[in-house]
Amino acid sequence: MSERSVIHDIGYQRYTGIRLGRGYAARSLFEHGVRVAFGLGRSAKAKIFPWIVIGLVTSLALIVVAVKAQTGEMILTYQQLPSTASVLVMVFLAVVAPELVSRDLRNQTLPLYFSRPLARSDYALAKLAALATAVWLLMAGPQLLMFLGSAFTAENASGVAAEARGMLGGWVVATLYALVFSSLAVLIASIASRRAFAAGAIVVVFMITSPVVGLLAALGEGGALSQIAPMFSPFSLPEGVRSWLYGTSFDVGPYGPVYGLVTLLSITVCTLLLLLRYRKVSL
Amino acid sequence: MNMTIAWITARGLLGRRRSWLLLPMPVILIGITAIGLAFEAEAADLADGVLIGLGVAVILPLVSLIVGTGVLGSEIDDGTVVHILTKPIPRSRIILAKLVVAATVSAVTTAVPMFVAATMVGGVRLGLGFGLACVAGAIVYSALFLALSVVTRRPVLVGLLYVVIWEGLLSNVVTGTRTVSVQHYVIEFASALSGSALFPSTVSTAVAGVMTVVFTVLGAWLATQRLRVFSVAGETS
Repeated sequence: MSERSVIHDIGYQRYTGIRLGRGYAARSLFEHGVRVAFGLGRSAKAKIFPWIVIGLVTSLALIVVAVKAQTGEMILTYQQLPSTASVLVMVFLAVVAPELVSRDLRNQTLPLYFSRPLARSDYALAKLAALATAVWLLMAGPQLLMFLGSAFTAENASGVAAEARGMLGGWVVATLYALVFSSLAVLIASIASRRAFAAGAIVVVFMITSPVVGLLAALGEGGALSQIAPMFSPFSLPEGVRSWLYGTSFDVGPYGPVYGLVTLLSITVCTLLLLLRYRKVSL
Repeated sequence: MNMTIAWITARGLLGRRRSWLLLPMPVILIGITAIGLAFEAEAADLADGVLIGLGVAVILPLVSLIVGTGVLGSEIDDGTVVHILTKPIPRSRIILAKLVVAATVSAVTTAVPMFVAATMVGGVRLGLGFGLACVAGAIVYSALFLALSVVTRRPVLVGLLYVVIWEGLLSNVVTGTRTVSVQHYVIEFASALSGSALFPSTVSTAVAGVMTVVFTVLGAWLATQRLRVFSVAGETS
């Protein structure tokens, strides 16, 4: 008859190492998101669009530094850079936000993520944080460049200190822009599974509001309406807060705190809607 | 022109839920004009701020971009373009059918609300001027964006860069680039057709007319050429 059957020990073992858990997964997803935003670790094709935008914003800062070195005049302050570059930042959002969230929808990888310790809210917040960080770097990097350029041409230490204060103020404004822009963009992109369509939707939402606000502001003729109207466009909302905090942008009258509140509300509502959107993910 | 392809394209474009997202844009245009009139804004402000600033500079290019890259781009994206390419139909007819559908849809979605809004601002003549100018603009943009969707794998992003940077920033700052800016052709057409003095025209009518035809033909020709040597590949990075 046949030989006696045996069970061989081929070395199956339980995993006894450290389980890295939820926090590690969320951190990895965040880190991966930031890398994806700049196309790091991806093919050259994925780098083209983000780096076109980065190049344009950086060249803006370089022009400022060059003019400052030649004439000593600052044609663009640290705080003005985000608003001058805001259209480019919008293009960056249209490139990166769909890359971060729409791809996962299209390739149906979300069930794989959610079968891990990673919670749904972790996924949404990690993606949002990654985009916000990338957008912040897009503006803060050139601001740092402007600071370095100005610091070397400054005459004494107090001049350098003044430049440093200016840059920190610029970073605060950049943070406002990054939070307002990216919370809205991720929310829009998370609804569309096609990257092209998500990009179009982001640009439509951002661009359609600014002529409307422009008209309303012109109608108000410097009155209450023209002080309130800029609230309704993501382009001018952070500018209003800047005006409230530093008094360096358009006239907001007594509505400064309202701008702060609306900004906070806008970020919170967009984030909550984003969390709500990922509560249920159909296959 | 192939009716079957045109029909399939139109159905693919309009039969989906997401195409209804195009609707709010015309509604916003008319709504804002109505609000402006209710606040008794001056006609020149409305023409410059709403009709040109919102209609010609934002809604027309963006609608044309989404529609123009959607007619062929979405088929290339999901690979179903193979079914059309393997049929014995000349590439030029495929492109022509796609172009006609794209231009018709963009023209209807932009010209009708523009006609309504401009009529509210300055009478029927201004309305007709803006409406017809938008039809011309929709045709040029559709040809350009259709060509883009065969030339590059990411037509929407390239189109966005073109709309935002070339049409939006450069053509309004560096005046020399206006002769190659579709936005300024549309403004010129609207100005010439309506005879209105509410807004300044920026290029001559002859230049605008000739360049419009040139760009349309060039776009369609380029799309045909590229589709002839088109290689089907999966989604890349």
